[in-house]
Amino acid sequence: MNGIIVLNLWQFGAVYLLLLVVLGIMKKCHIDQTKLLVVGSLRMTLQLVLAGLILTYIFKNPHPIFVLLYLTSMMGMAIHTVLSRNKGINSRFKLIVSLSLVLTGLAVILFFILGVVGVSFFNPQYTIPISGMIVGNAMTGVSLGVKTFHETINSQKTKIDTLINIGASPKSILIPYVNKSLETALLPTLNSMLGMGIISLPGMMTGQILSGTLPTTAILYQIAIMIAITAVTCLAVFCSLYFGYHTLYNDKNQMLI
Amino acid sequence: MFELLNVNFKNIIRYPALKIDEYKVTFICGKSGSGKSTLLKLLNASVSPDEGEILYHSIPVTDYDTVLLRREVILASQSVYLSDLSIRDNFAEYYSYRGLPSPKDSVIREFLDLCIASFPLDSNCRELSGGERQRVFLAICLSFLPNVLMLDEPTSALDEVTANALLHSLTHYCHEKKITLIAITHDLALAEKYADDLILLPTEELK
Repeated sequence: MNGIIVLNLWQFGAVYLLLLVVLGIMKKCHIDQTKLLVVGSLRMTLQLVLAGLILTYIFKNPHPIFVLLYLTSMMGMAIHTVLSRNKGINSRFKLIVSLSLVLTGLAVILFFILGVVGVSFFNPQYTIPISGMIVGNAMTGVSLGVKTFHETINSQKTKIDTLINIGASPKSILIPYVNKSLETALLPTLNSMLGMGIISLPGMMTGQILSGTLPTTAILYQIAIMIAITAVTCLAVFCSLYFGYHTLYNDKNQMLI
Repeated sequence: MFELLNVNFKNIIRYPALKIDEYKVTFICGKSGSGKSTLLKLLNASVSPDEGEILYHSIPVTDYDTVLLRREVILASQSVYLSDLSIRDNFAEYYSYRGLPSPKDSVIREFLDLCIASFPLDSNCRELSGGERQRVFLAICLSFLPNVLMLDEPTSALDEVTANALLHSLTHYCHEKKITLIAITHDLALAEKYADDLILLPTEELK
């Protein structure tokens, strides 16, 4: 197996030509998102260049504090993203969502790094990229789950009020929405497992193969990370909603929505 | 049975001291904005006042387990919620929220008849009119046989004949079964005809 071909700057620059194609089509179809495309691709370039430089530095000078800092900022960004997509929820709910994301994320990361891969938690080469995949997917799941839950509850106020008034407990009213939202949040991950290896070769596996890893090794990592992603999505969304729904009513069983 | 003392709700509504007696049919009238619907929500503790006390059998309503209180004091709110399912399935849905097994067809029919809603049990609630849905919903509420049944504008979507038939049947049944009935209406004539007690809420703005 050969190592990966290092891209030189000219070769690399060529890929941006593809963006011009996108731009052309957007102009023709009057899609008014050119700014988003430009800002998006610029931010992506900048953020990834930065990540590349920082990771190179950390790999050359490994120190536990770098791993912790990287993880902390990753968690911080994930929380920020979830909360900014779910502005309407109350502050106790926000706290529960944040805690769920951090605690379930950490638990699955620890299990994966120490239990499955069996390297030191402070080995940046493993912990940082794997945490990125785990936290990123937990973030998407929680975002979708909480959004679905919040929007459904808001659209069902009449039903909820009616049920409260005939003596249904807030728990029995809200749990069906918790379950349904958890299902909605899990479906994309579950569905993505179906096509894997046939329709798509997932990113991590492709990366490892390009770097010269044997495909048989790469698939083991891919399978392991997919299962970890499914688990963290399920755990993070479950904890967020299951502990979060209690913030929607008070000790007199009055709804606070 | 119910007593209101110095109740002030969000500084918007201030209620006069009032009492509601057990086993009687009490109608509450008043202009819109006088706090009729809020009064019923205060009585079942689904909202709380900013000042004052609401007593049920001489004990503050919030001292009860409020879920159990609302099973004893059912409020049929004005906005009717029924799923796009058959009447039978809607009964079953409400019963499951209360943790009860689905009622028998004969029981459902009995309460539909009482609420002038003798429709086939398989008819889909989506296809019923507003007034018909309201009566099916009332039948569900009544079938729980609460101690107190509170109705918010039970006749708002009904013509005069049906409204009279419904109130006649409901007041009869509640007297017979010793269910305290509290109903809101803006129709004074109806209220005077069927009420044992009548409460007129004044519209006074608090400054």
